[in-house]
Amino acid sequence: MTSVEGISLHLRIFGAAVLLAFIGWVVRLLRTERLTLRDSLLWLVSTFIALLTVAFPDLLFVTSRVLGVQVPSNALFVLTIVYLLLNLFSVTVAVSFVASRTRRLTQECAMLRAEIELLQRGRAPTTADRAGQ
Amino acid sequence: MLPAIRDALPGADVCVVDDGSDDQTATVASAHGAVVLRNAVNLGIGGAVQAGYLWARDHGYDIAVQVDGDGQHDPRSVPLLLAPIADGRADLVIGSRFLASGGFRSTALRRAGIRYLSWFIAMRCGARVSDPTSGLRAAGRRAIELFARAYPSDYPEPESIPIAIRAGLRVVEQPTAMAPRLHGRSSIGPSRTLYYLMKVSLALILLPQHPNRRDAR
Repeated sequence: MTSVEGISLHLRIFGAAVLLAFIGWVVRLLRTERLTLRDSLLWLVSTFIALLTVAFPDLLFVTSRVLGVQVPSNALFVLTIVYLLLNLFSVTVAVSFVASRTRRLTQECAMLRAEIELLQRGRAPTTADRAGQ
Repeated sequence: MLPAIRDALPGADVCVVDDGSDDQTATVASAHGAVVLRNAVNLGIGGAVQAGYLWARDHGYDIAVQVDGDGQHDPRSVPLLLAPIADGRADLVIGSRFLASGGFRSTALRRAGIRYLSWFIAMRCGARVSDPTSGLRAAGRRAIELFARAYPSDYPEPESIPIAIRAGLRVVEQPTAMAPRLHGRSSIGPSRTLYYLMKVSLALILLPQHPNRRDAR
C-alpha cells in the first residue's frame, strides 16, 4: 500500500465501487435472462481484471515497467483503450453473425410466403369448381 | 418486363424477388403469374439474388436464369445462355455486353472499371471474363447449389465468378446486347465507383476459403 504514490485510497474505493456496481448490474441482467452468459463473459472477465488492478495497484506499476511506459497512468490508458476496442470488436463480430442469420431467415420467410401463395392459387380453381357444381 | 419474358420464353417459370420495395412490384408480378419472393427486410442485391437461387434449388430446377428487372437485359437472349448448359459444356453462363456488337455499353469510366475487374479476376483465378459485372446469367444445377449455399452480399457479381471457378464450375460467356436501364437508378454513382472497385478488389483478394461454410451456420 505504501508503495502506491499517485493513487489515493479514495479514488481506489470509488473505482472499486463503480466496478462492483457494474458487475452487480451484469449479474442482475444475467439472472433475469436479459443477457446471455456467453455475450457477457468478455465484460465480466475484463471488469474483474480492472478490479484486480484497483485492489493491487502494484500490478499496474509492474505492467507499465514491463511495457516500458514511463508514467503508469499512461499504461492504464493504453490498457483501457485496448480493452474497449476488444469489446467493441466482439460486438462487430456478433452483429455480422446476426446479419447473416437475418439474411437467411428473411429468405426462408419469403420462400414460405411464396409457397403459401402457390398453394392458395392452386386451390382457387377447385373451390370455384365446387361452387359451380 | 414480365410479358417480354413470357413472349421470349413461353415455357419458363418466372420468379420475381421483391427486396422489400414499397411499390407495386409484388402485386404486378403476381398478376402476371410469377412466383414472388417478398423479402420482409431489405437484404440488398446479394441476399435477394440468393433468395432466387434458394428457390430454384429447393424446387429442383435444372437451370436458373438471373435477369435484372430494370429492362437492361433482353429475355430473347436467354436461349443463347442456355445452350452451353444444355450441351453440358458449362455450369454458369454470363451474358457479356462486350462480346456482342452494338447495344448499350455503359460510360467510359465504368468500362475502364469493368476492364480492371476482368483483369483482376483473370489474375486471381485464371478465368477470362469480359463482363464480370453483368447480372444476366444462367446457372446450371451445380451453380444453383453453390450460390444457394454461398453468395456474396454487397456487390456480388464479380466476386461470384471466382467463387464458382474455385468450386470447380465451368464458367462461359455468351455475347448479349444490353439496353440502358428503363427505370431506376444505378446503386453506384460516380463517387461510389471508387468505393465499389476497392470493395470488390478486397473481396476478390479475400475470397471465402470454404464457400460451404458460409451461411451454413
